[in-house]
Amino acid sequence: MSATAETGAQGLRELDPRARVLLALAFAVAAVALRRIDSVLVALAAAGVAALLVRLPPARALRRLAAAQLTMAPLLLTLPFAVPGAPIVALGPVRLSADGLLRAAMLWLRVNAILLAVLALVGTLDAGRLAAALHRLGAPAALTHLLSFTVRYLGLLEQEYARLRTAMRARAFRPRSDRHTWRSLGQLAGMLIVRSAARAERVMEAMRCRGFTGRLPVPEPLGWRARDAAWVAVACLGLVALVAVDRR
Amino acid sequence: MTEALLELHEIHFAYEASRPVLCGASLRLLPGERVVLCGGNGAGKTTLLHVAVGLLVPQAGDVIAFGEPRRRERDFWSVRVRVGLLFQDPDDQLFCPTVAEDVAFGPLNLGRSPAQARALAAETLERLGIAELADRSTGHLSGGEKRLATLATVLAMQPEVLLLDEPTLGLDDAAQERLVAILDRLPQAICLVSHDRLFRARLATRGLELVRGKVVESAP
Amino acid sequence: MAHLVDGVVAWPVLLGGTALAAGGLAIGCRRLELERIPQAALLSAAFFVVSLVHVPVGPWGMHPLLNGLLGILLGWAAFPAIFVALLLQATCFGVGGITVLGVNTVALAAPAVIVHALFARRLERGSRAVWGAAAGASAVVMTALLLALALALSGREFRPAAALMLAAYLPLAAIEAALTATVAAYLGRVKPALLAGPAVLAQGRDA
Repeated sequence: MSATAETGAQGLRELDPRARVLLALAFAVAAVALRRIDSVLVALAAAGVAALLVRLPPARALRRLAAAQLTMAPLLLTLPFAVPGAPIVALGPVRLSADGLLRAAMLWLRVNAILLAVLALVGTLDAGRLAAALHRLGAPAALTHLLSFTVRYLGLLEQEYARLRTAMRARAFRPRSDRHTWRSLGQLAGMLIVRSAARAERVMEAMRCRGFTGRLPVPEPLGWRARDAAWVAVACLGLVALVAVDRR
Repeated sequence: MTEALLELHEIHFAYEASRPVLCGASLRLLPGERVVLCGGNGAGKTTLLHVAVGLLVPQAGDVIAFGEPRRRERDFWSVRVRVGLLFQDPDDQLFCPTVAEDVAFGPLNLGRSPAQARALAAETLERLGIAELADRSTGHLSGGEKRLATLATVLAMQPEVLLLDEPTLGLDDAAQERLVAILDRLPQAICLVSHDRLFRARLATRGLELVRGKVVESAP
Repeated sequence: MAHLVDGVVAWPVLLGGTALAAGGLAIGCRRLELERIPQAALLSAAFFVVSLVHVPVGPWGMHPLLNGLLGILLGWAAFPAIFVALLLQATCFGVGGITVLGVNTVALAAPAVIVHALFARRLERGSRAVWGAAAGASAVVMTALLLALALALSGREFRPAAALMLAAYLPLAAIEAALTATVAAYLGRVKPALLAGPAVLAQGRDA
């Protein structure tokens, strides 16, 4: 990897988390404002570049992207038929239009561009820094503390869930579309909730034992540097330019 | 020559490529045997048991259960019915509101009707002498009670083989005594992972040890 | 799927939804005492994990929403809890959208709060299974209606997708009802204090 690419990578990775959050948001808003497919393609390319600069692990990125495709399914399936325009194929009242296909394609590309940019900029942040960034950007303390705690315990709960599911598998459980399965999964959910509540009580007790009086520590201050401002300025200029060109 | 109930042949397993846990481990369990498996922490004893019932897929090696090779997930369903695995942490296994319901979970998976499953659960609890735990909440049991409850959940499926992962962990002397007495009366072939010397001495017919990823004979 | 993606919602709907979400979050954060945050966070994490479970239904399957149950347990605090879960889903899994975070939050959290107002007391005293089923089903129906409305208001070309979403979600409400009923009954037997909990969480020091 060349020296310039290396500094680029370091630059983006070391970017102040507030800058990364703001950039991700700006990108999303700009991408949503685009009206032409070539602009959307440029946005997608920019997101790809960001992903490369941050060295987003491709396997992980692909897996996450794959999961997201399903949420677009109803729209991707119906848009080509619902958008008015010159029909390519017509079967009675059902008309497939070129405009519809274009809209569906733009939707798909746009969502994936935003996804990729967000994964690159925010998805690679660790939870603590994300919470700190949001706090410094003005989010209420309760919300950022909630975020920190939730992320902290998410891993634990996922493991607990995995262990319970493995044990169910060991007793020959096979999920099927029947009452036994729904009941068992419901009970599994109930057990997770009960254990979470019990753990929360223990967490509070442990915090009280260490002198907790009702105020959680504020996340450490972040240092905003000239480099961060430069990155944000350049990126925003680029986004504004893209939207302007798009609207021409 | 009696056919082995469970046979693991040259199992290689690693959670991450850099840290192999099992390096050609082999094991045979014959009917009526009580085999004890020892080894240091992290030696791979739990891993071996999980490979035996197909919860983990080895990178190399064969699992032959009841005379048939098992490779895919669907091959293992019938294995899990006939080979009961007792997990190290009872909390990983108990998830229903009451003990009776948790014990009935296994039979329900086997296709029994709810009434049959309830009857089977009651019978199993009775046989283990813990009928009084039937309506107790699974979250409010003592260590010993949890352990016996999980044993009931596994026995209710009427397995031919029992794999027990550190069953005495966290039990006081009285609870251990009770467990030994119960296990001694069971007809199943047992493979037992335990650090407890006295426990092993009371039950084991054969001793094995996991050393550097391989299984070697040792004193029971 | 109970998430709208970026780029489909018209600007007026987007801004309106975001404003509503901000309002709901403000109320929710005020009612969330710092001491209750570990509990709310653990519940939020539990719901996040449970929503990843695939429940087989017929030849396909679904992922539980359980926003009705979350509403019962947390009251107004469901707004920040759901927002956090959606934020994590969007940034870690790419499910949902960034610009539509506000709209998605309202679609999931508003029914949660409504369900709390309607059913929380009845759940405490009456049949957990029955009122749990009612809470689960009505929350999902409300969410589906809100999402479909957001889509339909954004343009005529989105109306078939809105109809498709409704058609998919209304039958799934039955499964949600069953799941919520099971969990509510479970909690009622094992930890009934949780079902009474939201009164403490929601009122905080304002009461």
